[in-house]
Amino acid sequence: MSSKATAQPLSLKIASGAFLAFWCLIAAFPIVWIAVMSVKSPRDAFAASAWDVITGPATRAAGNGLSVIDIALGLVFLYFTVRWAFTRLPGMVAQFSPPGFIVLGWLVGALAYGLVFVLIFFGVLPYVFGALNSIAGPLGTPILGLTTEHYVAVWGENQFYRNFINSMIVTAGVVTVSLTVGTLAGYGLARSGSNLAFWLLIIALVFRALPHSVLVAGYLPWFINSAEILRPILGDLSPTLYGQPWAIIAVLVAINQPFTIWMLRSFFQNIPAELDEAARVDGCSHFQAFRRVIMPVMWPGVITTGLFSFLLGYNDFLVTALLLDAQNQTMVPAIAGYFNRETTTTDQVEAVAAAVSITAPLFLLVMVFQRQIVSGLTAGAVKG
Amino acid sequence: MKFKTFFWFVAPSVFMMLLFIAAPLISVFIQSFQITQPVMQQVEVETCTPGFLTQTCVTETKTVPIIDEATGRTQTTTEWVGFQSYQNVLQMDKFWSAIGSGNWGDILQIDFWKALRFTLMFTLVTLPLVVGVGLMIALAVNNAAKSLRGPVIFVSLLPFIITPVIGSLSIYWLFVGDGILTATLERWTGQDIAMFAQAWTIELLMYFYRVWHVAPFAFVIFYAGLQTVNMDTLESAIIDGANRFERLRYVIVPHLMPLIIFIALIHLMDCYRVFDEIIGFRSQAHVISLQWLTFDFLTPDDAGNRAISRAAASAMLTMVGIVILLILPLRRTWRDHKRGAH
Amino acid sequence: MYLKKLALAGAVSLLGTTAFAACSYENDVPLKSLSAGFEAWKAVTDAMAECGNFQAELDQEFRTKQPAAFEANPSLYHIGGVSNGTITPLLNAETIRPLDDLVAKYGQNLSPNQLIRVDGQIMAVAMMVNTQHLMYREDIFADLGIETPSTWDEVFAAAAKIEEAGVVDHAIGATMKSGWNLAQEFVNMYPGFGGVFFNDDNTTAVNSDAGMKALATMQATLEYTDPEVLVSDSTYVQQQFQQGKIAMANLWASRAGAMNDEAESQVVGKVKMAAAPLAMDGGAPATTLWWDGIVIAANITDEEADAAFRLAMEGLDTEMVQGANEAAIWLVNGYQPGPLAEGAIATATANPAPPAYPSTTQMGLLHTALGNELPAFLTGERDAAATLVAVEEAYTTSAKEAGVLE
Repeated sequence: MSSKATAQPLSLKIASGAFLAFWCLIAAFPIVWIAVMSVKSPRDAFAASAWDVITGPATRAAGNGLSVIDIALGLVFLYFTVRWAFTRLPGMVAQFSPPGFIVLGWLVGALAYGLVFVLIFFGVLPYVFGALNSIAGPLGTPILGLTTEHYVAVWGENQFYRNFINSMIVTAGVVTVSLTVGTLAGYGLARSGSNLAFWLLIIALVFRALPHSVLVAGYLPWFINSAEILRPILGDLSPTLYGQPWAIIAVLVAINQPFTIWMLRSFFQNIPAELDEAARVDGCSHFQAFRRVIMPVMWPGVITTGLFSFLLGYNDFLVTALLLDAQNQTMVPAIAGYFNRETTTTDQVEAVAAAVSITAPLFLLVMVFQRQIVSGLTAGAVKG
Repeated sequence: MKFKTFFWFVAPSVFMMLLFIAAPLISVFIQSFQITQPVMQQVEVETCTPGFLTQTCVTETKTVPIIDEATGRTQTTTEWVGFQSYQNVLQMDKFWSAIGSGNWGDILQIDFWKALRFTLMFTLVTLPLVVGVGLMIALAVNNAAKSLRGPVIFVSLLPFIITPVIGSLSIYWLFVGDGILTATLERWTGQDIAMFAQAWTIELLMYFYRVWHVAPFAFVIFYAGLQTVNMDTLESAIIDGANRFERLRYVIVPHLMPLIIFIALIHLMDCYRVFDEIIGFRSQAHVISLQWLTFDFLTPDDAGNRAISRAAASAMLTMVGIVILLILPLRRTWRDHKRGAH
Repeated sequence: MYLKKLALAGAVSLLGTTAFAACSYENDVPLKSLSAGFEAWKAVTDAMAECGNFQAELDQEFRTKQPAAFEANPSLYHIGGVSNGTITPLLNAETIRPLDDLVAKYGQNLSPNQLIRVDGQIMAVAMMVNTQHLMYREDIFADLGIETPSTWDEVFAAAAKIEEAGVVDHAIGATMKSGWNLAQEFVNMYPGFGGVFFNDDNTTAVNSDAGMKALATMQATLEYTDPEVLVSDSTYVQQQFQQGKIAMANLWASRAGAMNDEAESQVVGKVKMAAAPLAMDGGAPATTLWWDGIVIAANITDEEADAAFRLAMEGLDTEMVQGANEAAIWLVNGYQPGPLAEGAIATATANPAPPAYPSTTQMGLLHTALGNELPAFLTGERDAAATLVAVEEAYTTSAKEAGVLE
């Protein structure tokens, strides 16, 4: 694209850049704003003036705040950590993960990075800054209200880590089962030209369009009474499905199947059929051909599809709110629980802090898999 | 591929869909033609409830269900009622009388038609916006310097990955009451603005939220598509003297056409069951959607009543609507399939 | 500092599950409860958790889950938190057990007022009462020389003066979020005008003179409220109060404590409580009385029921109330009614007294019908008469479906 004819006039470049900047502002603003709200006292967080929300006078008055030194040092530190994540982290992951397990290596790397980041920012830096501020005089007095009390309340007192663990279990289950079942079906559908395959896809599409609230309300009585219903068949082993994470995983996988098999089918269609036909000529069965020939080349598509499954499992509200009990509750319904009929402003700010917390893993995930999403989609996971 | 092999490949997936989607769907279909109700009796009951310090007791006639001695559960009867539940949802008599009297606006007083109006409008207004905005971002990102693309893609994806419940709340807070954006608008215009006081502003916000939330999805797919644009075609178009807009119109858009249809399809389905926005923006007083209507029928009141039959009927009507909407895009898939098969 | 706090919080939570901080005995039967999630329930379930082996579920979906979960055999929960609205399905399905013998065994500290009797049998134990009553900014009323209003006409007169003075954004705050809240406003106002909800044959009687008056009063309120009143629930009104944006509201008594919360409120000490205003002279205050309390499931063993009730009594003891005195208008012994409770007490002891919210199947149906049909009236799409007809039609349809009407 370097030929003269494709060179762009300056006006177009500026317009395109300005549009992009504007879009980024709109895309990020609401999220940045709730992050700002989450570190203020309830009075500041819901203050009418934007300036009050940012500077947080009530929070500052309560003795929580950042001084000029804190801000300057914090920003420098933030810059380097983020930069490091983009420049050095990929290399380290590639170096330390065993060949073939690069995906796993990335997950571990991202998790470790997130953990160290939280430890340094909330564990080490406050002490360092505290010491610096006490000797810095006027530069050390807080000018920007900031408090982490809501995060402490959410993760400590309210034991949000339990919801986090539950979310992780449900999400991991959904992604694994969904992809296992989905790749098989997607491959089968891609390699079968029969009318049955076509109608299966169409029916799956109609299923995808169903309003979830109808399905979910239908499950509730069955889930609650499953022990009684199944007793004649399974005897005393019959489980109560209500509140069981694995039952939720099954429901979410089923709800997500239509999308998964559509995406994977179009992806497999782009892998030349000659590849597995050659393997079949060599005497492999369909399953062997799938395992030996297709599996090694399917990862870009599977990762992209897996991400969508992850988002569905992680973000689901309707299913998890109704079918899980308090012990196994995931994060999203737990947050919605802060907003019920009788709630206080403090509850709401804590909910905001929880909301920001649950967005953080999504951040890491996109950072890690950004390249794979684009390359996976480019490789043809979507062809309509 | 032999049928047997095919069967074993798709069996687990099909089984799960049958168990968790098809089975409830069939039961919903049956329920929409039935009414199940408890057998009621009238009894005199004295109830004592606390006041402050002293109780008040009242004796009244209450209508309560009869409990079956054998099972310990409420006795119920199930009746086939044909299309009565559909009639209760559609309220065709009012619909025709509104048309007959010329007061077309009265149709929108009926919940179902009100919900259908909004759902359709929501779907059709946001569809071109999502495709357009998504395409514009994709082109702009493709145009940006290589070093900027990574961070920009990251920021652009944020609205899509954020949990919808939280995304809609974050926008709700910016505008509700003296939310900071409303306050800023008020300062600019010098008027008192209440975004959640009338239907059209709420609707605008809902359109905005949906486009904000979904455009990144369209963007990332279009962006992936742009990476595979055939350079030879593009260059021959330049040699033919096509200007920038013509190149976009005749080379890039046709190349992206399958993706545009894919996005449109997904978007049609997701929009048609719009629900999060109604709850998130608390718009029930002004605008409701079809899935919200079903949800509302299913939500039990304090006394535990829920309108299962009407919920089933409205769910089936929603389904019929989505099938009609999908027929057009799917005809193309059918043709592709036929072509692929021969 | 943060780490220390975190560690401390962790240690405390460990203590809560293994040691038994303030409980007089050790509970060894695993028990679960399902209730709503507001402050009073948090206090009660925390007190119960101190005895160990107890899991509390404070769930905003409890209305959906409770009837089904108590009907399962064995019941998924032992203890249920209900109000006079939500006890109805449990009573109707007989999934909660009579408590007379358990009260005799463990209920020494209960006052007779707390025992909810249905046909002579104790079916629930109430812990608090709740009602919507008038909260107002005493400082503003004193500045402008306005007397505490005791009728809705006086409320509007006061509101007019306050709007004229322009000291707050909106004179009145109202919990008129469409749906449950808005319907509740009507349910408060309508008996205040002497209306009865149902005829003897279970048809609804809201399409009446009292209904028209109730709607007219609700519409008159709109003139002084935030234009976004149809999205404002009690939390929102509470926030408006805390931020000094409104001067009065007919708000839930359980919200009073928040007005004096230093961390949230900018009007600490300035909000006073008074009885709910009368809708008409000589009538009852235009509000309804509510109670919240506990029930014990029927489909559990007698040992479990015994343990559950004993645990519940531990949760409803004097010690708990002393730790959370401002969280509710408690009925439990040891409650010290403070200034914040004045309005609720004045309301409950008024003569004639406001009715208790009726716990009947029909009321649930009518409440939903009101919640769905009233918004069109307040947005001006429909006039009052047509709205009452629409409410009547919606109620009739759903009542036929539910089997209470032929």
